Amino acid sequence: MIAQANAELLKIRTTRTTIGLVLGMVALTLLFSLLSGLLTKAPSLTSTEDQRGLLSVGSLAGVFSALAGVMLVTSEYRHGTIRPTFLFTPRRSRVIDAKLAAGLLAGIAFGIVGEGLGFGIAYACLAGRGIAYALDTGQTLLLVLGTLAGVALWGALGVGIGAIVRNQVGAIIGLLAWGFVAENLLFAFVPSVGRFGPIHAQNALMGLTSKHLLPAAAGGVVLLAWTIAFALAATAFAARRDVS
Amino acid sequence: MIADAAPVVVADSLTKRFGSVLAVDSLSFELAAGTITGFLGPNGAGKTTTLRMLLGLAKPSTGNALIFGRPYADVADPALRIGAVLEATDFHPGRSGRDHLRTLATATSLPDARVDEVLRLVELEGAAGRRVKGYSLGMRQRLGLAAALLGDPELLILDEPANGLDPEGVRWLRDFLQAFAAGKKTVLISSHVLAEVAQTVDQVLIINRGKLVVESSLEQLTARVGGSVRVRTPERATLQQALQREQIETTIVNEQGLLVHGVSSEKVGDLAFAAGVPVHELAAEGSSLEDIFLELTSEPQP
Repeated sequence: MIAQANAELLKIRTTRTTIGLVLGMVALTLLFSLLSGLLTKAPSLTSTEDQRGLLSVGSLAGVFSALAGVMLVTSEYRHGTIRPTFLFTPRRSRVIDAKLAAGLLAGIAFGIVGEGLGFGIAYACLAGRGIAYALDTGQTLLLVLGTLAGVALWGALGVGIGAIVRNQVGAIIGLLAWGFVAENLLFAFVPSVGRFGPIHAQNALMGLTSKHLLPAAAGGVVLLAWTIAFALAATAFAARRDVS
Repeated sequence: MIADAAPVVVADSLTKRFGSVLAVDSLSFELAAGTITGFLGPNGAGKTTTLRMLLGLAKPSTGNALIFGRPYADVADPALRIGAVLEATDFHPGRSGRDHLRTLATATSLPDARVDEVLRLVELEGAAGRRVKGYSLGMRQRLGLAAALLGDPELLILDEPANGLDPEGVRWLRDFLQAFAAGKKTVLISSHVLAEVAQTVDQVLIINRGKLVVESSLEQLTARVGGSVRVRTPERATLQQALQREQIETTIVNEQGLLVHGVSSEKVGDLAFAAGVPVHELAAEGSSLEDIFLELTSEPQP
């Protein structure tokens, strides 16, 4: 299991996919943090919730860690490396578990970079413009650690999605369509259901307090439950299906 | 073949059904240690499906596939005993050949030094640092083989390894497999072209439409080759009489031409010489191994 996890981490490090995702994440985080940090009018940045919104731009990293997780599985099916992978480790649950662990670790790395950058820029913008920092230590810790935990879980969730869907394009489109469209619509129209979606669970976990969101702890539990559910389904699917 | 131990590979009534299509139909065979077996059949005969079932990638609909006495998935650290290549293209194009091997070596806790050893073995050390997308098909075939050899296996299973290789590559593969098998190791190699493996294997399994058609040694198969010899001579009648005295069957082709059945061209030449008949042309003709193979695999199964 440890050996297989090391192999999965090596796979992540030995193609340009990962560096591409990191660069994309850094570029988007820079863009959004700087734009909203510099251009938002000062009166709209004074409340705790306003500042939370600005300081949590780094949670974009979740999209990229999820994509990294999806790629870790689907690129193996796309390029056929899943065959040698399963020939070397025919216990498929061991491969999926190792990928989940690798996805989680990659997610932590994405989270540290993305959230570090987003939070740092946002904090610097507030300080540079002389706007008083409104969050107390507890709120700051919840924001930073909640984002990090959420981004890490998305890495594993991405692995789960990839292992269930297997088709790379399908999995990526499905992930983005759910994350950017479907769940937002669900939350807008049926918030009592939509708040249990993984994106809104992560928003809650970071301490965001907009209307209808779950409490932070509940958000964390819900996001973890999603991750575990996808992980179990991924293991069951991988064990059952033939590899062509 | 001396079956001095338990068979290395056992297919026991192996059957695979895809919907209404019976891809593999109660296929049974055993491979003894130290043999090189050609697993032959036309494209679509069920060879790859059979290999996938042997290697635990596909579940048999019914029947069993055992390697070293157990299902592939139950062999502890299978890469240390079994090396297999199913597709020549199973690489991430953006990963270097060496890194591809390192990911697999890491999964089985083999050191990077072993990666460099197998790269040397398949003569790929020069290209190992380059990304696979720049590799020729022959290089990919060898990289796949290198992966299979990482764990120094006792059994090698290769699906169409000669596909896309140039003649030099085919010769390299043949030499390699013969050297490999010399160490009491077992090889199962599939192909849709008998000629590709005829010089390498010592027994053949021929399947067609998912069923076993022939299981024999290569000598037995060769013995079925009932070739004929074409002779051109101005004294056709004299030669024909000489051959008939030896109970050799002949067919007249034209004024000077004669087809001689069931004997070698050397024998015909010697008899013509003994009879004092000038020979203007002498050529072996007709069913080669490939013809036999085509004949066996083209007839519809009842």
